[in-house]
Amino acid sequence: MGVNELLQVTNLSSSFQTEDGLVRAVRDVSFHISHGESLGIVGESGCGKSVTCLSVMRLMEQNGRIEADSMRFEGRDLLSLRERQMQKIRGNEMAMIFQEPMTSFNPVFTIGFQLQEAIRLHQGLNKKAARNASIDMLKQVGIPRPEKINDEYPHALSGGMRQRAMIAMAISCRPKLIFADEPTTALDVTIQAQILELMQKLQQEIHTAVVFISHDLGVIAEMSERVMVMYAGRIVEIAGRRNLFKDPKHPYTIGLIRSKPDMEIESPVLTPIPGTVPNPLHTPPGCPYHPRCEHVMDICRSTLPELISHEQMHQVRCWLYDQQGAVHGS
Amino acid sequence: MEADVMFQLKNIQKFFPIRTGLFSRVTAHVRAVDKVSLTIRRGETMGLVGESGCGKSTLGRTMLHLLSPTSGESLYKNRDVFSLSTQELRKLRRELQFIFQDPYSSLNPRLNVSEIVGEALSVHGLAHGRERDERVKEILSVCGLAPQHAKRYPHEFSGGQRQRIGIARTLVLNPEFVVADEPIASLDVSIQAQIVNLMEELKDQFGLTYLFISHDLSMVKYISDHVAVMYLGKIAELSSTAALYKDPQHPYTIALMSAIPSIDVDAQKKRIVLQGDVPSPSHPPSGCYFHPRCPYTMERCRIEEPKLRDIGGGHLAACHLVQQGGGRL
Repeated sequence: MGVNELLQVTNLSSSFQTEDGLVRAVRDVSFHISHGESLGIVGESGCGKSVTCLSVMRLMEQNGRIEADSMRFEGRDLLSLRERQMQKIRGNEMAMIFQEPMTSFNPVFTIGFQLQEAIRLHQGLNKKAARNASIDMLKQVGIPRPEKINDEYPHALSGGMRQRAMIAMAISCRPKLIFADEPTTALDVTIQAQILELMQKLQQEIHTAVVFISHDLGVIAEMSERVMVMYAGRIVEIAGRRNLFKDPKHPYTIGLIRSKPDMEIESPVLTPIPGTVPNPLHTPPGCPYHPRCEHVMDICRSTLPELISHEQMHQVRCWLYDQQGAVHGS
Repeated sequence: MEADVMFQLKNIQKFFPIRTGLFSRVTAHVRAVDKVSLTIRRGETMGLVGESGCGKSTLGRTMLHLLSPTSGESLYKNRDVFSLSTQELRKLRRELQFIFQDPYSSLNPRLNVSEIVGEALSVHGLAHGRERDERVKEILSVCGLAPQHAKRYPHEFSGGQRQRIGIARTLVLNPEFVVADEPIASLDVSIQAQIVNLMEELKDQFGLTYLFISHDLSMVKYISDHVAVMYLGKIAELSSTAALYKDPQHPYTIALMSAIPSIDVDAQKKRIVLQGDVPSPSHPPSGCYFHPRCPYTMERCRIEEPKLRDIGGGHLAACHLVQQGGGRL
């Protein structure tokens, strides 16, 4: 573990007890993020990308269970902290931006009240100073007439403005780490462009590490230095942005890239991935991707491949690549 | 009118009244679609793009008279859909079909797949009994569903499979024209391409004509022959797909295209970030509707509404800056 590590997660597994059985949403996920770094997590619905972040913040529902060898945030083990200690970290050193700002704000309190709540709680400012700080924050995220918006209720703001207010709340205590869970998915493209630009600017200004979750490869490519691809609760590939998009290794990553037309890259045909995302209650044995994979071999059906280093900083979980990175059977 | 024209829309307007107060008086109108004219030719896919609230879905519904129009004409094979009687319209419905965005809420949860797909055949009196079952089975297999799926209920299927059921229901009537309203927006990325490819195959097989409504410019580029870009109820630009994406003219189209994130990590793209939000269609700005957000606004744009003009080769743009033959002043 490097000196500069901010968060180090080792073998995180999260599961939910549901009426239909145990859903193992996240399985043996290990990753790290350094100060000021941006890490993207990409995958389709149910791949475990959101649950990974909720687990690190210990925001799981009652029926959820988190297990990990360790989850270290600046040297502290998050798993062994009491709930009270965790509350001091959450919203202060670690913050989260949710997909739908309408449902994550409380509709009966003003934007300013909700922003000031966090500021007063974590920074011990008095009412007046907190109000000034919250107006300052709204100004910083580019909200016009911040004094007025500060006293507005969430419903009075447009989707883009609400997401800006959400970002203001997340950065209000200058956190070291922000989890942004699909922050632009509910927004139109021109508004998405505004929010992405704002997040890039703020990340540079306050030097926060950001874990950016999205199903949109384009958004991930613009927002992350390193990218982690998840499928059926597991990491299938991690690489630097350039390597991942220019030289993807895992058949799932390649399939995702091929199935979406890109504005900059001419694609005469779209090649969809056959089949569907597996039901989390009945994940296929062996490699969970094998029923949809075009390179499937016998071993894939029975044994789960390890996440191995293909090159430096490029790890892939696939039987096609062995320890030396040589390709089997081709 | 040319022989190969399937739909000709002339100055279609659709306003929704806003009612307020004790007596629900109409105090304003949401101008959802405002004087849209569009020609769709037989066998082509017309893409209709724009952001939420631009009126693209309302246009799709109004042109098929699923919503009653405020004014305008919608000529389908030279007959005005708006002036047909209820019976005539019902007969025509077989030819004019709709694929909905949300495969979760557009299928009746109490009916099994064979009933959902077969219902349309019964309603139009096209097939009954065993013949009906045969037709249903046939269309399900065309849409990539197995025969054993026929007796299952919608909740047993994934989003992609539900959309296949929706498409099967549409195609069992052997329609001529299909409005597909955001058919892939609620699907996972790996499934979107499956549905788009299925729609392409079916188009060739059945000789369909599509109006493909989407906010996804990259998918529209892939599937469409012509594209219309809408902003606040009006068409901002209309052109062949190749010309539009190679050389967009309207500042809104240019900004919209530049805003789409790309996975090409080497592309040195200049992003135009539009300021502000889309204005409310109940209080649209004066002059050109786009002027409050446009980076090139001139005095004229605030006063005078630009007309949708041909700038050469059937490429239409509604902007004062755009000159004949392309290029800006």
